[in-house]
Amino acid sequence: MNGSGEMRLILLFVFASALICRAEDKARGRWEGAVQIPGRELEVVVDLAKADDGLWQGSIIIPGLNLAGTPLVDIAVQDSDASFGIKTGRGLEATFKGHFNADGTFSGDFIQAGNRASFTLKKIGAPQVEAPHRSTPVAKEIEGEWKGEYQIFGTPRHVTLKLTNGTEKSATAELVVVGRKVNNLPVDLVTQEGDLVTIESNQTGIGYEGRFNKEANEIKGTFMQGPVEVPLVLRKSK
Amino acid sequence: MNLVMKLERTGWRPIDYLVRVFTLASLLMFCLSTSSHAQSMFRGDPAHSGVYAGEGPRQFHRLKWKFATGNRIVSSPVIDNKKIYFGSDDGNVYSIDAESGREIWRRSTRGPVPSTPAVAAGMVYFTSYDGNFYALNAETGALKWKFTTGGERRFEAKGLHGIQPKNQTIADPFDVYLSSPVVADRIVYFGSGDGNLYALDAATGDLRWKFKTDDVVHASPAFVNGVVFVGSWDSYFYAVDAKTGKEKWRFHGGEDPLIHNQVGFQSSPAVIDGTVYTGCRDAQVYALDATTGKEKWRFDNALSWVNTSPAVTRGKVFFATSDSSLYHMADAATGKSLVRQQGKAYMFSSPAIAGDVAIIGVLNGTLEARDANTGELLWDYQTNASKQNSGWVLTADRRFNQPLLFFDNWGEAPILAQDRQVSVGSIFSSPLVANGVVYFGSTDGFLYALE
Repeated sequence: MNGSGEMRLILLFVFASALICRAEDKARGRWEGAVQIPGRELEVVVDLAKADDGLWQGSIIIPGLNLAGTPLVDIAVQDSDASFGIKTGRGLEATFKGHFNADGTFSGDFIQAGNRASFTLKKIGAPQVEAPHRSTPVAKEIEGEWKGEYQIFGTPRHVTLKLTNGTEKSATAELVVVGRKVNNLPVDLVTQEGDLVTIESNQTGIGYEGRFNKEANEIKGTFMQGPVEVPLVLRKSK
Repeated sequence: MNLVMKLERTGWRPIDYLVRVFTLASLLMFCLSTSSHAQSMFRGDPAHSGVYAGEGPRQFHRLKWKFATGNRIVSSPVIDNKKIYFGSDDGNVYSIDAESGREIWRRSTRGPVPSTPAVAAGMVYFTSYDGNFYALNAETGALKWKFTTGGERRFEAKGLHGIQPKNQTIADPFDVYLSSPVVADRIVYFGSGDGNLYALDAATGDLRWKFKTDDVVHASPAFVNGVVFVGSWDSYFYAVDAKTGKEKWRFHGGEDPLIHNQVGFQSSPAVIDGTVYTGCRDAQVYALDATTGKEKWRFDNALSWVNTSPAVTRGKVFFATSDSSLYHMADAATGKSLVRQQGKAYMFSSPAIAGDVAIIGVLNGTLEARDANTGELLWDYQTNASKQNSGWVLTADRRFNQPLLFFDNWGEAPILAQDRQVSVGSIFSSPLVANGVVYFGSTDGFLYALE
């Protein structure tokens, strides 16, 4: 390779880096604006930043939809375009697809449930991305299978909860509720703080929180299904 | 010898004769109009069959007319002598020409009128949220009499539907109807938010009797063979002697002490061939023996309310559900499912059966016509409000957009959601089919006539 060839390569690298940096600079920040849904303007605050591993991360606040610090999914930033999504436990799935404009705004389409509306956001400062909730490990003595029963709308429901510590310093859970049919519920979050254990299945709106006893063979708590809260005692399977 | 002379000889004055003839003719007309059960009350007749004369349109041709009122319409239209009568939440009851949609008269009350009028013997009867029961002259709208009940209220409970705060008594935003009267044998029967089933003299408004239940009665009573049938929000369904007001039997529906979501009779009964068919908010459709109240069968709808009033004809029961949005046809004798079609949104409106066509309103602002035998969709009509889809209450394919409807989960969501829901022209109103034309009201404030 001759000198001019090297120079071209360096220039190309610098140019590409500059482009990437510009794309990063463009996207990174706290963005504020609104989605123009017919008959209803949705105020939106979006935070976008790059994590240490180089991947984009973000969170969103939409007061009109009861969302605060909800993590963004499927974030893609390329040149002057970006897209990201929302996927909540209550069934809200939406996508923002937009373009960074010369006037410093980010505008495009908000798509939800087959409906499409325009949005315009303006950068107002540094990003304040909310860290997503993560599962914690659970005490070794409460690992294993737990069983209990509750009654709702006159029908008994049998609950089986299996807690397992994973390899990444966090626990996972299998939650099965058997009523008129068998329901294997996807668990998103398992946490333990002292003797308090919390299980959350965002997708189904089902959760459980309870305190285990000293012998670690009983958890007394509340099973939450949508608006309904019923007491549920779980006992360790032998 | 002329007639006058003949009468004078017998001591009768002509005026006496005329008065007697007129009285007899009026009485005859009254009896005919009440016993022939013209289709001029909720669900078409005192038995609430939900069956309408003639064939319903199998194809949609055009919007014949639409008539604007000042607020949402929950009431169902009825027809009598080529005039349509219905109530509006703007506080008025309207009489309009069935052919042209032109207003003949309107009569104001001091509250919304989500009750369906009954027309009999030249009188129009209905209830209003102002706590009064009205009787008007059907020709002119002039007030004949009004009866003051113990006052209206919605069904209410602490922690209703899981709405927070739990200890707050919440009025049910889905208790949208007021009881629609039934007229039979010169008595008008209706329920009230004060918990009573009333029987009034249809001509004078004098109280014949009242029957106390333990909660709101907003279902419309059915009348068959001297018995009045109605469900209450106290979770009981009652059969009451029409002459005495004495209870003949009662049937206990489901209870829900937790969040009061799965309790109460909002549906009005159909009483056909000795069987009472009624939906219930405990998610069942019940078939009860009309004589004893004994359960014949029940149809479970997996926690989904049945607020529609069943239509019954040709040995089949037609009804629809709320949350699961299912359109059903079941065998009237056994309750066995014959047809199950997935709809797009909640249904409170009751199906009207006209020939082989079943017509029902949907809360997404769409009127649906289905083949009565297969349940297949024949055609639908979407209101403008539904097309506008303000606030994206609906998905692009007209289902309720749950995340935007119930976005604040179980805070005050159901209360707010109900307001949002009706913004798309929800059809709570039960369709009327007459002379091939379909009439219905919408929460967009319009009464529609389609053909």
